[in-house]
Amino acid sequence: MTEPDKNASDAGELDLSGIDLGRVWTGVAAEVWRRHTGPVERIAARLLRSAGLARALLTTPSLLLPWLISTAVVFGVGGLINIAGGQPLVWLLAPGIAAIGIAYAYGPGVDPAWELSCSMPVSQRMVLLVRAVCVFAVNAVIGLAVSTITYAVSLHGARPVNVEAVAVTVAWLLPMTAICALTLAVAVAARSASAGAFAGVLAWAAAVLASGSASGQFTAAVTDSSTYLPYLAVAVAATVAVGYATRRQRGTQ
Amino acid sequence: MNIELTTITRSFGKNRAVDGVSLEVGPGVLGVLGPNGAGKTSLLRMLATVLPPSSGEIRLLDRDPDRTEQRREIRRRLGYLPQNLGYYPAFTVVEFIEYFALLKEVPPARVPQAVATAVERVDLGAKAKARLRTLSGGMLRRVGIAQAIVNHPDLLLLDEPTAGLDPEQRVGFRALLRDLGQAATVVVSTHLVEDVGAACSEVALMDTGHIVFRGTPAELAGRGERHGVGDAPLERGYSAVLQASRQSGVAA
Repeated sequence: MTEPDKNASDAGELDLSGIDLGRVWTGVAAEVWRRHTGPVERIAARLLRSAGLARALLTTPSLLLPWLISTAVVFGVGGLINIAGGQPLVWLLAPGIAAIGIAYAYGPGVDPAWELSCSMPVSQRMVLLVRAVCVFAVNAVIGLAVSTITYAVSLHGARPVNVEAVAVTVAWLLPMTAICALTLAVAVAARSASAGAFAGVLAWAAAVLASGSASGQFTAAVTDSSTYLPYLAVAVAATVAVGYATRRQRGTQ
Repeated sequence: MNIELTTITRSFGKNRAVDGVSLEVGPGVLGVLGPNGAGKTSLLRMLATVLPPSSGEIRLLDRDPDRTEQRREIRRRLGYLPQNLGYYPAFTVVEFIEYFALLKEVPPARVPQAVATAVERVDLGAKAKARLRTLSGGMLRRVGIAQAIVNHPDLLLLDEPTAGLDPEQRVGFRALLRDLGQAATVVVSTHLVEDVGAACSEVALMDTGHIVFRGTPAELAGRGERHGVGDAPLERGYSAVLQASRQSGVAA
């Protein structure tokens, strides 16, 4: 009688003595808690060769949504103004807005985990550069769309075709690069996003007013091809300044 | 040695926060004690490669943090809990720890397991999916500790880790520290001498930017046997060493 009972017991119960239940639970928890990455993050991780950089790019709260909204609003409003009045005001607005966006995406005042982030192997400079490129890319896509819409509307409208509108992406990308780089340089050197944004907007306003008064055309800052070389020079100089300011320093801060 | 400091100083304007500190630390738990403004946080920030020294040499994990690639390698093997842990309120506990695991370049395939292990070690499993903005100060501190240990660091730097923890959590945390210190170098900055007595194999006492004492907790307690002010032996040793160093005006 006892033998069959023992066999039944052996068959019906598992011997758990050799199992690390804590380890099993951790494995289960890992599967339950894991965050499944979306396709955009997977693509970004592949392109950037860093899952950390991709996550920093796509999930930092100060980054994505405000930039997308502000960029869409600026280009939307600019496009409407352009269509209605024939003045490419959107070209004039874009560099300043992008500059502010980048300036406020950088610094301890914006990132609450700044101190912690500074101790990570994925460097803050890389995160910053990637974010800047991201802004340019988003703005370029939207700018191209606005240009196309503007051109299409002007083709079917009563007014003559505004050929310059087609080149809007090039026209604002160059000054935007220069102004954003300048903004970054000032923000990094002054350790203040506000100072950077202020300098960027001020520089852009000065450029618009100066080129406008020199040529007699309000939009000369983005339509006059003779301004392209100075923009390039400013962009390069500011980039060098950013690299210099963010190098690892010894000594007092 | 995982930490080698040679006469490092750190100045902020005219204020010298860390003044000629030399230190060698191997595996184990080193408690850094000292009054407010002694230079503990500046020392930890330099060890965390967040702040470069004004002068002197630092080597961490046999690498030079002044060199970009070596600094990156150090940071991969580093865990750091700052005094003021900033956090993203909308992140959940798991998202926050996972985010920093990825920034520490933990291989993505290993991240979920590493995060789950870290969460369980600080006993936050029940709050794993809770948003950080809903957590108490003590729980946030434990989240900070979890992100610091998620990469199984060889060098773990904790600045005031027990701030906000209740007595039961502190007891659990001390056990965790002892466990971590068996394989890694753990540096704990605190002004709570009871934490040092319970969890640290060694103690360094800082005052006005200098290390004025280094030894075991028992040796520190011994310094206060006939002198010092305090309710416990370590407190008496602490105050006796500080008093002696301030009277002599030099580091002991």
